[in-house]
Amino acid sequence: MTSVLPATHLLRAWTVLAVGAIAVVSSVYGVGSMLLPLLVTHRLTVAVFVVAIVAGELLRLPMPSGRAAAPLASASALALVFLSRIDGEPTFDVPAGFVVLVVLAGLLVPAAVRGVEGKVVGLEAVAARLVGVAVAAWLAREFAPSTRSLWSLGVDGAVSPWLVAMGMVAVAGVGIAVELVLSAAVRSERQRTPWLAALRDEFGEAAPLTFAVVASGPMVALMAPALGLLSLPVALFPLAITYVAVDRYMQNRVTYRQTIATLSHLTEHGGYTPAGHAERVADLSVRTGRVLGMSDRDLRDLEYAALLHDLGQISLIEPIPGGATMLAAPSDQRDIADEGASIIRHAEGLERVADYVEAQTTPYRLVRELGEEVPVASRIIKVANAFDDLTGGRDDPGEILAANERIHLGLGYEYDPEVVEALAVATADTTVGRVGEPETATR
Amino acid sequence: MTTEASPTEGGAPRRIAYATNIYVGVVAAAGVCLTAAAIRLDGIVIDATFGVLLLLALLSWLLGSVETDGGRTQVSLTGIVMLAAMALVGPAGAGIVGTLLGPFDNGRAPLRARIFNSGMFATMGVVGGAAYIAAGGRPGGPWPPGTWEIALQIGIPVLVADIVQFAVNMVLVAIVVRLAAGVSMRTQVGQIVRSSGSAQIGYGVIAFIMVVLWGPAGLGSASVFLIFPPLLAAQWAYRQYAEERKGHDRALHVLVAAVEAKAPHLAGHSTRVAELSASMAEHLGLRPQTVADARVAGMLHDLGLTSLPTGLVRSTGVIGGRAISSYPARGVALLRGLSFLSGALDAIAHHRDAVAPRGTGDELGVEALIVGLADEYDLLSEVGTPDGVLIPKDEALALLRRTPAGREDLIRALEHALSLRAEAAT
Repeated sequence: MTSVLPATHLLRAWTVLAVGAIAVVSSVYGVGSMLLPLLVTHRLTVAVFVVAIVAGELLRLPMPSGRAAAPLASASALALVFLSRIDGEPTFDVPAGFVVLVVLAGLLVPAAVRGVEGKVVGLEAVAARLVGVAVAAWLAREFAPSTRSLWSLGVDGAVSPWLVAMGMVAVAGVGIAVELVLSAAVRSERQRTPWLAALRDEFGEAAPLTFAVVASGPMVALMAPALGLLSLPVALFPLAITYVAVDRYMQNRVTYRQTIATLSHLTEHGGYTPAGHAERVADLSVRTGRVLGMSDRDLRDLEYAALLHDLGQISLIEPIPGGATMLAAPSDQRDIADEGASIIRHAEGLERVADYVEAQTTPYRLVRELGEEVPVASRIIKVANAFDDLTGGRDDPGEILAANERIHLGLGYEYDPEVVEALAVATADTTVGRVGEPETATR
Repeated sequence: MTTEASPTEGGAPRRIAYATNIYVGVVAAAGVCLTAAAIRLDGIVIDATFGVLLLLALLSWLLGSVETDGGRTQVSLTGIVMLAAMALVGPAGAGIVGTLLGPFDNGRAPLRARIFNSGMFATMGVVGGAAYIAAGGRPGGPWPPGTWEIALQIGIPVLVADIVQFAVNMVLVAIVVRLAAGVSMRTQVGQIVRSSGSAQIGYGVIAFIMVVLWGPAGLGSASVFLIFPPLLAAQWAYRQYAEERKGHDRALHVLVAAVEAKAPHLAGHSTRVAELSASMAEHLGLRPQTVADARVAGMLHDLGLTSLPTGLVRSTGVIGGRAISSYPARGVALLRGLSFLSGALDAIAHHRDAVAPRGTGDELGVEALIVGLADEYDLLSEVGTPDGVLIPKDEALALLRRTPAGREDLIRALEHALSLRAEAAT
């Protein structure tokens, strides 16, 4: 976290913030003097939804790509978009801008909490969410192609409930899609990952979870005429089950990674490799992979392979001086890689990781001249490993420059030029490709 | 439903097989008779609602259920469809849905289990449906207006029907398992409650949502379209989780492979010690968590060897580097950061003390004693000395009796584990 990107480099982030600000300003303008009377009339409804959004935002799920999903908050916000008749409460007949302002209130409280705690505030994420909600609210409440809006059709039951439900789900889908596109734009800029790769992560990473959110919002609104405000906690229950399952899945991913990291410690405890080498190579490999636009699944296998790339040294009779494989004879390097791969192959399901470890020593020349198939992951590990062997993990700019120059000498012969370029981007700025957003970026 | 029978086939004496078959016949007949009686008393309307429920039943066979953490069922659509049927079409309809759902709920079950499940599900549908009416519910409407009326006249009846059908489910399954496998009914009921009790409450809530959307909210079959995406998402998430768990368990084998790369003469040793340790812990009646800890401690007890110089490990390879006293502590140092292994660390640290020539073993945990015994036995009788000398079983056991871990109950557990292994091998 040493460098602060100049504001001009974050063009997309500023654009998203600006669009969010426009949404808020036009909402305030649209609601105008009705704000206070509406707040008084719907005080209980507003309070319940703000609390739900705040709670959902505080229970965010960190996804592997670095985005934080808040399914319960998203679904609550979408429910508010469609909310009409509520048993025991006045009908939620409000302009779209009012919906946006209520959601804004719910999003700002957790953002302020994060700011006070010194965590990443994530104002762009708030802006993206607001724009998504604003689009959905406008489509549902103001957009009236045949003089009737979707919302008004839902109130009096003039058309089949099937049509209303499908319309709501479609509008919710559009709102979510807008949010995902905007946050992918911001994230790709920050991580320097290709925009399409970021978009693929946003949509594909937890697609079923996103579908569930899209269906849950309308479900709350459609239940409210019968069950009143109680419909919010009740209808979000299935989504809460999903939330728990995704949370456990993510936690298990963390323990899985810890186990793999333990394997990388075996050679370090034995004095075969320098302390922290495997972790540094893994970190650098993943960030380089992200710059190259690799998918979450590939990044994960890359990370594991990078952590385990020196595992084969475990059965060496004599340790290599300093553990630096880059300086070892090519045939020794290959033996180590083969031994490591054969150890990893003992576990079912890690075959790809073993392949990556095995191919890490192949010089790029063989890819170019003989058309040998070497996975990108292996090429990344080869370069990241050389970089760490050369710098010894020090982040002194002089050493980094010297290491990059030394790697450039082997460009095309030993190393893949595309990977070297991506690595240079990643080593020039420690925030590139990182999952935790830098704190400075949101200020 | 979360629980269905898959009686163990083969090996059972003929008399037990007869009793089980008779019982399966009785349950199947009860299902048919109850459904018929419900149709006669309560009537059945074959309408769109009934058709949609049958379609849902079909869908839930296709989707199946997900199991995680050793048989804990997470999301099964069958339970939800059954409850919704009770509230929407009444006992007779639920009986018919159950009859159709039962045989297909478990894709690989043998025919006898399918017949049993069909009867059981029909019984659950009729009895649960009757409970729904008894608790004040009116299947198929008219629907109550207002929040409290809905909570009282739909929420409570759904909850009651949920509990009643789960109770019927548990009792019928416990009896068939008692007959076919000899497991006591109390153990079986306890196991079912632990493995799917909380999921069962969840089905009640989801069925309640579906009924409210269907009836009072006036959505009809469109409610299915809204309620299924979140359920499918939950199933998806639990599938991912189960997959990930499996992967993680397998990754532990890489640690074992690392030990074997370091010390080739120990090939297979860790796995054998893990199996023996777990089997001994089970025989001693220890808690499932302790059994799991003993297994993983047995598997990783030699991990510390990997951080020693290769030459040293291989040259002092006399019975697995017994001469190197530091390796248990090294293993613990490597594994300390892994929270899921915290219960196994003590056994890894002290498994050598358990069979040390001097010492009492009093201060050692039972896992350490178990792993120590299993390890030493395997070293003596399976790994052997570098010149290939193996000590026969009885002699090895005699040697082990003289160690701190040589308590009579532990030695008996070891002998039991060995005989189980020999049985499994033939």
